[in-house]
Amino acid sequence: MADIAGKKIMVVEDDPDATETLRIVLEDEGCLVCCAENGDEALDKARSERPDLILLDIMMPSGTEGFHFVWNLRKEDEAEVRNTPIVVLTAIHDKTWVKFYPEKGDPVYKESEYLPVQAFLDKPASSGELVQKIEEVLTSQAESVRGKRQ
Amino acid sequence: MEPNSHNVELEELRDRISWLIRLRWVAVLGVLVTIWVSRRFLGVHLEVTPLFAIAIALAGYNVVFWIVGKWVPVATSEAGVSYFANFQIALDLLALTGFIHFSGGIENPFICYYVFHIVIASILLSRVATYLQVTFAIALLVGLALFEATGVIRHYHLRGFIPTELYQIRTYMFGVLFAIGTMLYFTAFMATSITSRLRRREAEIVRLSDALRKHAEDLSGTYEALRQLEGVRSDYLHRVAHHIRSPLATVERMLAVVAEGRTGQLSSRALEMLERARLRVRDLLSLARDLLVLSRTREAPPLGEREVVDLVTIIRDAEADFREQASQASVALTADCPEYPVEVTGDPETLKELLDNLVSNAIKYTPVGGEVRITLEQKVNLAELSVSDSGIGIPKDEQDQVFEEFYRAANARELGKEGTGLGLSIVKAIVETFDGRLSCESEEGGGTCFRVALPCQVGRSRRERAPWGI
Repeated sequence: MADIAGKKIMVVEDDPDATETLRIVLEDEGCLVCCAENGDEALDKARSERPDLILLDIMMPSGTEGFHFVWNLRKEDEAEVRNTPIVVLTAIHDKTWVKFYPEKGDPVYKESEYLPVQAFLDKPASSGELVQKIEEVLTSQAESVRGKRQ
Repeated sequence: MEPNSHNVELEELRDRISWLIRLRWVAVLGVLVTIWVSRRFLGVHLEVTPLFAIAIALAGYNVVFWIVGKWVPVATSEAGVSYFANFQIALDLLALTGFIHFSGGIENPFICYYVFHIVIASILLSRVATYLQVTFAIALLVGLALFEATGVIRHYHLRGFIPTELYQIRTYMFGVLFAIGTMLYFTAFMATSITSRLRRREAEIVRLSDALRKHAEDLSGTYEALRQLEGVRSDYLHRVAHHIRSPLATVERMLAVVAEGRTGQLSSRALEMLERARLRVRDLLSLARDLLVLSRTREAPPLGEREVVDLVTIIRDAEADFREQASQASVALTADCPEYPVEVTGDPETLKELLDNLVSNAIKYTPVGGEVRITLEQKVNLAELSVSDSGIGIPKDEQDQVFEEFYRAANARELGKEGTGLGLSIVKAIVETFDGRLSCESEEGGGTCFRVALPCQVGRSRRERAPWGI
């Protein structure tokens, strides 16, 4: 399993306390952390900072800004920016039954088919869960990149 | 009366006038057939030319009436329609009198046909107008009989039908006129009595249907308002839930980061207090979540969002989800399902919620070394799901209460396990949403078994039902 130390993680979160907490954990694990408070700032930093992974909160002050950020990022011109893995970290997923997929009545429920992100984490996620999820996503990302090169 | 019911009555009168016009075509045909049969088979001598002329006139003015009724806006006001009907009936009476005159006058047995006109008049016209038409008919008849008898107008004898002339016999003439006259008045009296009663009923029905329509409109308005209100409420609830859960989650994380020692070393006393604070925050998070789930379930998801769900898949998923929790509690978790899909109507997340609550409860209240069994059976049109455990059980006198909100059985509280007291309320609400049945068998210290029976889908293959092709 890949070590997450040295990886650059961008935290997109409007709550400064939540950001601070995540920063403490991630820096403690040896990551480089950059932060964005809203979707626009996040898009700018995704281009300039080139994070290895984005931790994204969905419900930001303007409603479901996180969704827009995901779709905007996936429309970026540069492949490196466009394909940045995203882990959604939210209090509204699954347990509160807010469905993230766009079409009603879809027969097979598969989260990843609807929102192009790599993983979901329910708030509050323990430090262990967080680190493990980031490792998983980075590992599978690295494998898929290797697969493409071969 | 309201303008609307006026319109309905007017519409009805116009319908009846067009019915009269159709009837007149039958009369024209009847006249022609009668003339032909009388001459050809009965050998009655008839003045064919004037009779045909009248038949043609009858057909002619019928065409005019048909056109007027259909294209001219004469029939848009009540007075207009009434004049139109009166005029037609008067003209019909004249035509009939013409026929009678050219075919034997008072000796013609068809003289009784005036009665049809009177019945039609009583259906179409007001009571007064009907009596006026009767009087007009009788005046025509009396005039015809008197003028023929006195030789003012010519009498056409029905040769080959009646051997002798009767029209000049006074007693015969008065007898016939009296009989016909009284018959017409009586007919008018009876027919108008019946029709006026019918009209009153009709007006009542129109009034009632108007009232009903208004009620229905009011109701649909109220329903729409309620639906919107429900939408606002539901939306509000989600916002509240998020606004409560989000800061609670952050607080929990902040406490955790401190407790993990990432911000510096803590005394063991401080750590213990922190852990207790985290536990309380976690309880609050579960409470906020359970309240939201319960309220969502009671809203009953709209039928349109329901789909066919395979319970076997849901159970296999739950078994996988709870495997770790069960092994941590040293409880054996097993699931016993059929090899084929058992399908019910619902939505997968809600059904998963149902099972999650039952299984997590069972694991929570089962001591180390115990077991939790999930079983599923298909019984004709019922899917029978049960979650049984070898846990602490529910005291007999508390078994009915465990489904109430916030109720926790005494032995569960004593065990000191965390719980919101909402899990079984959620289970009950979900089962009711999907028209199922829920029962509980338990003995204190002897384990508990919750049984859920849900109506299931039978008789259709998976492929038929799934056009997307699974």
